Amino acid sequence: MTQTEVETTTTDEATGAAALGSAWQAPASDSAASGALARSKWLHVFSVLAVCLVWPLIWVGGMVTTMDAGMAVPDWPGTYGYNLFLYPLSTWVSGPFDLFIEHGHRLLASVVGMVAIVMFAVAIKGEPRRWVIALSGLVLAMVIGQGVLGGVRVLLSDRSSAMIHGCVGPIVFVLCCLCASVTRRSWWDRKGFDGQSNPPQGVGKLALGFAIAFLCFAYLQLVLGAQVRHVQPLTSTKMFTHLVVTHVAVAAGLLAAAPVLLTLTRRCGDLTLSRLGVGLIMFVTLQVLLGVSTWVVKYGWPEILSSLPLGEGYLVKSKGFFESMVVTAHVAVGSLILANAALIVMQCYRQNWLAAGDQSVQRSPSGVAPETA
Amino acid sequence: MRLVQHSIIGYDFTMNRIHFLRPIGGLMAWAAVLMSGCDAPVEQYPPNAVHALVVHHRTDLPTEAAAQEVTQLIDQWFGTPLEPHWPAELLSGQAAKGLVDQDRLLRAPGSFYSDQDNLHYGLYTEHCVRCHGVNGGGNGAASALQNPYPRDFRAGIFKWKSTQRSARPTKDDLRRLMVHGAPGTSMPSFSRLSDDDLDVLVDYVIYLSVRGELERWLLYGAVEEIGYGDEPVEDPFRFGLVSIDNATGDRASEAALYAAEHLKRIVDQWGQSAEVAVPGASSDPASGSSVDADSVARGKELFHGQVANCAGCHGVDGVGGVNIVDYDDWSKEYSTRLGITPTDRQALEPFEALGALRPRLALPRELAGGYAHGGADAVTLYRRITQGIAGTPMPAVMLSETPSATALTPDQVWDLVHYVESLLETK
Repeated sequence: MTQTEVETTTTDEATGAAALGSAWQAPASDSAASGALARSKWLHVFSVLAVCLVWPLIWVGGMVTTMDAGMAVPDWPGTYGYNLFLYPLSTWVSGPFDLFIEHGHRLLASVVGMVAIVMFAVAIKGEPRRWVIALSGLVLAMVIGQGVLGGVRVLLSDRSSAMIHGCVGPIVFVLCCLCASVTRRSWWDRKGFDGQSNPPQGVGKLALGFAIAFLCFAYLQLVLGAQVRHVQPLTSTKMFTHLVVTHVAVAAGLLAAAPVLLTLTRRCGDLTLSRLGVGLIMFVTLQVLLGVSTWVVKYGWPEILSSLPLGEGYLVKSKGFFESMVVTAHVAVGSLILANAALIVMQCYRQNWLAAGDQSVQRSPSGVAPETA
Repeated sequence: MRLVQHSIIGYDFTMNRIHFLRPIGGLMAWAAVLMSGCDAPVEQYPPNAVHALVVHHRTDLPTEAAAQEVTQLIDQWFGTPLEPHWPAELLSGQAAKGLVDQDRLLRAPGSFYSDQDNLHYGLYTEHCVRCHGVNGGGNGAASALQNPYPRDFRAGIFKWKSTQRSARPTKDDLRRLMVHGAPGTSMPSFSRLSDDDLDVLVDYVIYLSVRGELERWLLYGAVEEIGYGDEPVEDPFRFGLVSIDNATGDRASEAALYAAEHLKRIVDQWGQSAEVAVPGASSDPASGSSVDADSVARGKELFHGQVANCAGCHGVDGVGGVNIVDYDDWSKEYSTRLGITPTDRQALEPFEALGALRPRLALPRELAGGYAHGGADAVTLYRRITQGIAGTPMPAVMLSETPSATALTPDQVWDLVHYVESLLETK
């Protein structure tokens, strides 16, 4: 952390609204008025709840694919003719593992759907920012769409649908993370330039472009991974090899790009960006290790690593518990990387906006934003 | 108050203008295109186009017509991936008819799913197809990235078995391989599968092998023996006119009889596999007791001696390091046996375009501190030494009842086994 890095979490909840006003050196009398437009705490609570539910949902969904259990329940939206919530608990718990995990995936997804509905309702009721309301609405729409995609996958017994379902899941997770981020207190309370501390600095076009490119490639990587995972019976060896090589190349690129992104974004001095950048490096590194491990547990020790004695004589175990966890973790961490990258992009825009506002303040003789002076 | 409104509304306005959703939207559209790779059910088994090209190279005759008609016959007799069929009607004897269970066969290909009773369907698609391919050609999507390559069932050659080198494996051999996997390769252990599911896969592997081997024989026979070539053949010799119904009895054409004869021969080879177990493989003198150090010492001498000459490939003390340039039979078929150098990329290009995998060196195993793909127990090693490994350059030693300059006695083989076991254990 450099000296210019600014802690983004500032004041406590009681003074939060006042702090928002103080960003532009608001008169003291406005502080009380700003309290009337307080952020929706409950939206934040439910957004965090959604994040905490969607990531496990991605885990369970990934496990469904890993265990090839996607078609363990042939009907939808019910389960073997039962209403989803009325399927006998004993049959579910004591039945085949494939059925257990697929039905569990559906139940958890239903809970996420309910949370998304509450999120949207809470946002409409108490959130003053229209774009945040729109964001929570988008979360709800995506959750519903994702559920329908899951149903289509089952009804058509179609692996392409399964692949799309798997690729949309991380987007839902990203949206939930964004919603949780923009509703947190530190986002709301974030100070602009108060004339005493260091003024906010923008991240610059290069950093912003780099962050967006990273996000795009992170998603591309996710899609490539899904292609490798859901390879079709008649896919040619050449096509599959291209997919794997591209997947590895993009992984290497992301691994190299993550520290560059941190370097570019931390120049503005925003601690949140620095933390996200460090987190991104950690996740991408972990993901590369998981990627190699996934290949090993799926196809054995790769020839390219034959000089390392570790994997000599390694026996691949089809659908072993540890092996399944490794493969599924690779899927789940991909979502974390995507969410992390999206948060960086979001934070970059916010930082630039704060910096732009700060310049306006500095240009104004009164130190107050020109529009309000 | 006005200031606060500015902050919120201004931010609202700014966020509406952000551009980052645009490239993401574009990327999602692109991803949708990429993801739209079709998932249509596989309706036909891909024909063995590589073999057709091999036959063309061997005979210098066109093979298109023959390949087309053979494919028609094979599809008639063996069905499709949507509805595979075991041609029991054309076989005689319960062993041949029951070699593959028709009900099990239906559970192997197609989309995979399971029911409340944990009965699994599409098992081959779920577990095998990405490596072994739809028709068992060993050239599934992921095959090119594996070393060794997955087995091509269609040649009828299998490495890991309890039977003699040229024989087919028993069902127990296939099941054992599926349960234990092949360490050091991409062949997994399917020990978590139920016995029922394993039976399905064993039967389907045999089905694909018989189907693929018949296809190969008929294709070669059509061109070389029946006369498919530039000119169309007469109806009685046309494979394309043969179906299940007219393949036997008085109505059977020459082509039908020819094909049925080959089918019977191939199926009989599978049926007789249990009768051609490796002799003497269960008579380890050290069985149940610790291995005699003298036996290991004798084995070491044999390992480096002239008769077995294992060190010639596996290196002194089994540490490898010997420069061997040789290939397995599956690769040789479209390379050295056609006079093509396996490293000649240009000459191999037509074969690779049809799905052939680039020939890879078949390297001898480093035994010292190493592992054995097909199992390292004494009985298995005895079989490897006396039979070699089918489809690979690993030769068999000759056996004799008395010591000689060209062959080993069974006891000497056991000495050799004990020495190899000691090498494999030196981790």
